Amino acid sequence: MTFSDDRPTMIEFKEVHKYYGDYHALRGINGTIKAGEFFSLLGPSGCGKTTLLRTIAGFEDISSGVIMIDGKDMASVAANTRPTNMVFQSYAIFPHMTVEENVGFGLRKDPRSKEEKAKAVAESLDMVGLKGFGKRAAHALSGGQRQRVALARALILKPKVLLLDEPLSALDKKMREHMQVELIKLQRQVGITFILVTHDQEEALVMSDRIAVMFDGEIAQLADPETLYRRPATKKVADFIGTMNFVPADILSESGNSVDVDAKGLGRVTLDIAQAPVKSGDSPVVGLRPETLTLLYDDQKAPERETAGVIDEVIYFGDMTYYDVYLGGTDVEVRLSMRNVPGRPVLDVGTKVRVAWSPSALVLFR
Amino acid sequence: MKRAPLLKSYTIFYLVFLYAPIVLLPIFAFNSGKVVAFPLQGFTLDWFREMLSDQNLRTAAKNSLIIALSVATLSTVLGIFAARASVRYRFPGKVPLMGLIMLPLVLPEMIVAMALLVVLLSIGVPLSLFTVIIGQVLITTPFAVAILTSAFQSLDKSLEEAAMDLGETAWGTFRLIILPLVMPGILASFLICFTISFDEFIISNFLGSGQPILSVYIFGQFRFPAKVPSMLALGTVLVCMSIILLGFAEYFRRRGIAKAGGKDSGGFL
Repeated sequence: MTFSDDRPTMIEFKEVHKYYGDYHALRGINGTIKAGEFFSLLGPSGCGKTTLLRTIAGFEDISSGVIMIDGKDMASVAANTRPTNMVFQSYAIFPHMTVEENVGFGLRKDPRSKEEKAKAVAESLDMVGLKGFGKRAAHALSGGQRQRVALARALILKPKVLLLDEPLSALDKKMREHMQVELIKLQRQVGITFILVTHDQEEALVMSDRIAVMFDGEIAQLADPETLYRRPATKKVADFIGTMNFVPADILSESGNSVDVDAKGLGRVTLDIAQAPVKSGDSPVVGLRPETLTLLYDDQKAPERETAGVIDEVIYFGDMTYYDVYLGGTDVEVRLSMRNVPGRPVLDVGTKVRVAWSPSALVLFR
Repeated sequence: MKRAPLLKSYTIFYLVFLYAPIVLLPIFAFNSGKVVAFPLQGFTLDWFREMLSDQNLRTAAKNSLIIALSVATLSTVLGIFAARASVRYRFPGKVPLMGLIMLPLVLPEMIVAMALLVVLLSIGVPLSLFTVIIGQVLITTPFAVAILTSAFQSLDKSLEEAAMDLGETAWGTFRLIILPLVMPGILASFLICFTISFDEFIISNFLGSGQPILSVYIFGQFRFPAKVPSMLALGTVLVCMSIILLGFAEYFRRRGIAKAGGKDSGGFL
């Protein structure tokens, strides 16, 4: 899950804006994507992630700002001469051609001999697991096969950047999970920068080296999956990625880099102010992930802090159970997850429990 | 569902009434009697022979062919531009503009023909085959636009982007991707416009300045009873040709939509 930051920059955005008439689709995008990185643009529909991808491909002009690919300003470079290739959401397989003709389409202007091109096509098909499919008619392929043809067709040109526009959204769950792993492997094998657009936070966490979370045409946070999950920059990001409990808090005192707050139901806790610049008078919230909360059984002792509570709801998942718990006699409800192990019964609604938590797992939000 | 015997027999009667006269055409075309009436006499090919040896008829057929080919080509080309523009681009005044293009479908052709005649004469354009072509293009273009719009609509936009993305120019994309995928629609449009133009009467009559044009010529010949059997022979040929051409047109249209992976929506057959 670590990604070395010393790799050269592949793509750089500088204050990229995009207007559709009055609609402000991209509102000042800044950031860099490193060479060889598996990068995801994550966000709800309409957040501008696909628009941003299409500006990289050159299908959309930007209204202002700069997009650099491999050190070159792309302003005057048309889509058909950019060092990028795209896997479309609909796959865009040419229906009147065979698999071979589809994959070899980008080689039309390649000066290599016919035999060399045929070899390249065969290699490309082999790489995506479609050996021997070359003569098939494109319209006779299944969804998963179309996706592979689209990949082979894009990768045969050895682009500097491969753009993937929600490539897995049309596949069923099993196939999607299978293709996620295959895409990761493929990316490591070819070493090309992959940029994936997705609205599926799980998919982004599984596949990416780094993720840019986008809302309303802006990048809300750009980080690696672990940081994104553990230290979401805003409440919105925290809410979008996984499950996050939010507990209201009052500021008691500030001192330099830390702040003392009274988190409702949890009590007094000192937090690092670097997470969120709060000052007295603000009413911040603190966030806790369900797995950072633990139920204490019998005479177990909490390693750090503990709070009493009452179970309000039990959701059984087989390997896990989710409990919704009211904290310390308040109306603050948090969700926590417990692994189901033998000899430990699933508790009932109304059971009085003790909840262990750690101040270092708390995230402070304005 | 409840059966309605009355409705069923009405439907059958109605269809027979409509189509039986067309069946009579070939029957009398092969009948050796000089008068078009039952009972039938012997079998003969004389009327076809007479038809083929008629010099005026040949000229009329040649003129009609020139007109139909020009009209089909022009309206299909115009249809390509209009359909492409209406499917792919948004521009101010699009809805009224497309409405204007489709208007001749519902406008009485007689009015169109008279209006054109008045305008052409007043600006001093001599009537000729050319004026017939211009008038007919107005009538056939809506058909071309309707057929081609369905062809362009079934074309996924990302196919064009994919071709550009893979290094093709705009022209290359049009030639290698768009054209092959809408070609069946283009053929269908061409054939249907050709058929419509070939038996079009009103505009040919008004704007043809007495040049022999097939539909006008047939109408003229019907005044002479002796000519009627050979006109029926000609009619038989035209009916067969129309059916074959329309059959081809529909075949191409359906194949085009299936090829582009779309769903069938509308069409004329």
